[in-house]
Amino acid sequence: MGFIMDGLDAEEYDRQYSDGELVKRIWHYFKPRRKLMLIVAFAIMADSLASTAIPITISWGVDEVERSGAGANLALPTLVLIGVGSIAWVFNLIRRWYSSRAIGDVVLSLREDAFNAVMDRDLSFYDRFPSGKIVSRVTSDTQAFTQVVDLTMNLLSQVLLIMLLIGYLFFVNVTLTLITLALAPLIIIVSLAFRNIARKTVTQSRRVAAEVNKHIQETISGIRVAKTFRQENAVYDEFSDVNHQSYKINLVTGYTFSSIFPILNLMAGFGTVALVYYGGLRAQAGTISAGEWFLFIQGIGLFWFPLTSIASFWSQFQLGLAAGERIFALLDAEPNVVQHDNVKPATIKGDITFENMTFAYKEGETVLDDFSLHIPAGQTMALVGHTGSGKSSITKLVARFYEFQSGKLLIDGQDIRSFHLEAYRKHIGFVTQTPFLFDGTVVDNIRYGKQEASTEEVFTVAQQVGGGDWIRTLPRGLHTEVGERGGNLSMGQRQLVALARVLLQNPSIFVLDEATASIDPLTETLIQEGLDVVMQNRTSIIIAHRLSTIRNADRIIVLDHGKIIEEGTHNQLLERGGHYADLYNTYFRHQSLDYIEQAGQLLA
Amino acid sequence: MQQSEFTVEDAYQYNQRGVFRWLWSHISRYRLLVIASVLFPVLDLGLYAMVPVFTGRAVDTVITGEGSLWRATLLVWAAMVGSGLSFWSTSLATETIAQHLAVDTREELYRSLLGKSQIFHDRQRVGDIMARATEDVFQLNLFVSPGLRFVTDTILGIVVPLLYIGLISPSLLLVPVIFVFTYIISVRRYASRLLPVIRNQRNQYGKMNSVLEESISGIEVVKASTQEWFERIRFGRNARWFRDLFVRQGQIEARYLPLLLFGIALGFTFLHSLWLWQQGVIGLAEIVAVMGLMNILKFPTFISIFSITLLQGGIAGAERILHIITADTDIDQNIEGHQAKIEGKLTFKDVTFHFGDGKPVLQSIDFTIEPGQTVAIVGQTGSGKSTLTQLVNRTYDVTEGSILVDGVDVRDWNIASLRSQIANIEQDIFLFSRSIRENIAFGMPDATTEMIEQAAQDAQAHNFISSFGEGYDTEIGDRGVMLSGGQRQRIALARAFLANPRILILDDSTSAIDSATEDEIQKAIGRIQEGRTTLLITHRLSQIRWADLIVVLDSGKVVGIGTHEDLLRTSPHYRRIFARYEIELPPLEELTPA
Repeated sequence: MGFIMDGLDAEEYDRQYSDGELVKRIWHYFKPRRKLMLIVAFAIMADSLASTAIPITISWGVDEVERSGAGANLALPTLVLIGVGSIAWVFNLIRRWYSSRAIGDVVLSLREDAFNAVMDRDLSFYDRFPSGKIVSRVTSDTQAFTQVVDLTMNLLSQVLLIMLLIGYLFFVNVTLTLITLALAPLIIIVSLAFRNIARKTVTQSRRVAAEVNKHIQETISGIRVAKTFRQENAVYDEFSDVNHQSYKINLVTGYTFSSIFPILNLMAGFGTVALVYYGGLRAQAGTISAGEWFLFIQGIGLFWFPLTSIASFWSQFQLGLAAGERIFALLDAEPNVVQHDNVKPATIKGDITFENMTFAYKEGETVLDDFSLHIPAGQTMALVGHTGSGKSSITKLVARFYEFQSGKLLIDGQDIRSFHLEAYRKHIGFVTQTPFLFDGTVVDNIRYGKQEASTEEVFTVAQQVGGGDWIRTLPRGLHTEVGERGGNLSMGQRQLVALARVLLQNPSIFVLDEATASIDPLTETLIQEGLDVVMQNRTSIIIAHRLSTIRNADRIIVLDHGKIIEEGTHNQLLERGGHYADLYNTYFRHQSLDYIEQAGQLLA
Repeated sequence: MQQSEFTVEDAYQYNQRGVFRWLWSHISRYRLLVIASVLFPVLDLGLYAMVPVFTGRAVDTVITGEGSLWRATLLVWAAMVGSGLSFWSTSLATETIAQHLAVDTREELYRSLLGKSQIFHDRQRVGDIMARATEDVFQLNLFVSPGLRFVTDTILGIVVPLLYIGLISPSLLLVPVIFVFTYIISVRRYASRLLPVIRNQRNQYGKMNSVLEESISGIEVVKASTQEWFERIRFGRNARWFRDLFVRQGQIEARYLPLLLFGIALGFTFLHSLWLWQQGVIGLAEIVAVMGLMNILKFPTFISIFSITLLQGGIAGAERILHIITADTDIDQNIEGHQAKIEGKLTFKDVTFHFGDGKPVLQSIDFTIEPGQTVAIVGQTGSGKSTLTQLVNRTYDVTEGSILVDGVDVRDWNIASLRSQIANIEQDIFLFSRSIRENIAFGMPDATTEMIEQAAQDAQAHNFISSFGEGYDTEIGDRGVMLSGGQRQRIALARAFLANPRILILDDSTSAIDSATEDEIQKAIGRIQEGRTTLLITHRLSQIRWADLIVVLDSGKVVGIGTHEDLLRTSPHYRRIFARYEIELPPLEELTPA
């Protein structure tokens, strides 16, 4: 079966919990709803007891009528029977009414916790694990967990019921009861054997579901590429493979689960038959009365059901436990970014110091090595250098998206690790390389960093960016729906929205990561003016690609393989004729007019 | 026949007119299993109902002392084992159908997704599609196993006991038959109350999943803006709505009436049978048998709570899946369409385009590009540049007018032939979470290693790829986050080099290249333009400057067209680009609009 499981390994943060640990974790969620759950368990039990009372009532009714002969009162047994049936119905009502609340609440809080855990992970987590699979854990696995809650309540009531029934059976006949109980261990052994198989197959099922999720998320997000390159067939074949893998695994799981109950039932059948025969012999011999024997046979049927239920529940339970294990692993995944203290800075000046820092995204691929840099508050600093020289890493470290391995990062002289993360980030405005917009209007998106801002504030800020000219080109102005990921807007428009977003947030430290790079020439000048407004009175770190930006910077840092190889102003560096001059010649010069005129020869 | 941009040749055709027909066309593919899953329950219940009858006989044997107890017990045992084995077989048969249904519908859904136009995909949220392909498909699974299985159990569980009761005494059928009628009426009312709630629940699940998917995809912005709390509230609200619908479902289920009706029917059946016994029509053993049979009737009554929820979950899920499959898509793959090697002549004839009912993105665009020409499209952000290029490979279709490739309307081209010769390097570069090699070879899965490396060389990507530990086999993280913008763009360029298209569309794509290899990339782009028609959207003045033709767009209209020199003299819009450079512009000539 190994080939079916290809590619379905555990994620790095997956772990195995002992049953004891799992129970403890689950109890944490059950505890606040334990009253509800107990009510439900009692209602289930009472419902079953009322159902149990039905054959007793019938036999009592028969006896009664037989005793009284022709003139018997038939209404009484009828009414009693109807009464018992109605009570059963009421208990069923109570049971369902409260169980949906108990289940709904447990799943909700588990889901919220899973979501919170996801939000708390730092970016290295997202680099490593496909988001489609994370999504799967938060919604799909929590959904599967529903079963655990439902089964727990059922199990509880079945255990109560079985104890009552055993008491009753002993009351009717001790020997026959002992024979019945002798069969129980066999059933327990079988169900325990099933448990292990069930857990294994179900874990595979959950994983393959995540795989399907991941595949769909990725291919649907990238469907445009598949279409332009006419590669639908390749994508489809790949999906087919995942889909069929899912089929095979789920079939195994399905067969396992649909076999448990029939097998246990067959075993119970043997037990019943043995009792019918043995009891019949005893009745014939006159050791027990025929009525007793009949009652016992009726009772035994009632006894098997909860017993086989408990046994099969235990396996079904695995379904939810496997899902639970995946959720708890997500909750327990160790964050890399760890804060030592919870200082909430009211204001930040924006003085940034890197001291002998070493940083790597992955072990063995060091990006910054023994890196030191001081950015005084209020300075506009431009980072230039080749791709992979560590520019983005510096900005991401300032935003505390990643943990560094050694050295120090001080903000206003304080260790960045000592801050309360959210309170600190409030002072940082970050415009990312590819601006990400959320489904909603432009206003919603600008307001994203400062939810309490009024619409007027949003309008003012939008006007400040690019002179507000761009708003005119939007179909419904600032109330235009941007679509998922901002798909209804052009890339330039998305960047303008992202800039307005930061401007509204009014941070002490402004980080701009290549953001102006793909804004068209006509908009660029306007953007530049907007940027000048944003950069006033705050520390700005710019990964610049525009000549105009770099010229305006107070200081330029030239990076190469994580090391500062030059620094100064644009003019100083140009005069020096070193690395920056080289970079300028190949990288920024093309934006100057001289270069544009020469480029014709290059392209020809 | 539905329009589609993509079809699979030997794909099984399902009936997509209506949820039930669709489900049936899926399920009926597995005829033998369907027959098995109907016959085995008949056998199961037939035998199961014999158990109390045989037990009654055993009682008789003991009371009367006639007949063999051993034989009576053996009959009970045989009935039990037979019923147990039939039950098991039913389980396996329905489970197999259920898993087939899940895999087949997901396949069908996925196929249809690949065939939908970009307009369709713009409207759909990825998280919701994911929910449909996993959780809604899972609902179909439950619909069959155990849903449909409960239905056969329910029907049999009603018919078989009634049959046996009728055999014992036809007049005893009175109460059970009345009960069955009231049961059907109240189950129908119950089901119609439940369905809307379940439908809402499925939709809410989709919404919750979309919110989650979006939060996770935009995590960098969420964190940078410290809006985790906002996302928490948003997700929490959606999760709570889902919970509320779940509770609502539970409350409807709680008030399930048939169980109460059953209790009453049981009482009256008892009354009736006691009365008949008083009359001497039936004996004691018959009462025991009849009441035992009535007890079997309890199962279908009780199980309907589950089965109706499962069935409606399946129906609601099927509706959601079918809704996507049958959603109109405006672009067809046009298999009979024109197929030829593209020369590269591109004509925009009075093209107007708008999304839905929005205001026009493009208006009356009219110009021609000769084969091999490089055309730069410039204009302010939002002026319609990207949309213009997306009309060429039919990512979208024009609203009015037409676009001709080599004189043939793009809508008359075979879409595979058209698209395979047009490469589009988009501004938002999408890389798959696979190796770099696979990403470059995306347009040409059978490319050799040499070809891939050559393409990477041409795109100036070979050096940085080689610097990675695993070279071309380096896996790119989720959505390619581990690469910088410049690196991503060069991989996209390599992809286009390998695909070797006749028409190339470069949409701002190389704008973020930030390395010192700028000159080489300029050369690479120069080289890739050779011998093919190129549409260029770029901020690089150097490339605009030397394009064969420059088209200036403003608010979806062409406001200038010509060469650099022409436009500097004639187009105020174009002059604005160069205004910030301290050079002397030629005097603006007043032209009569063409």
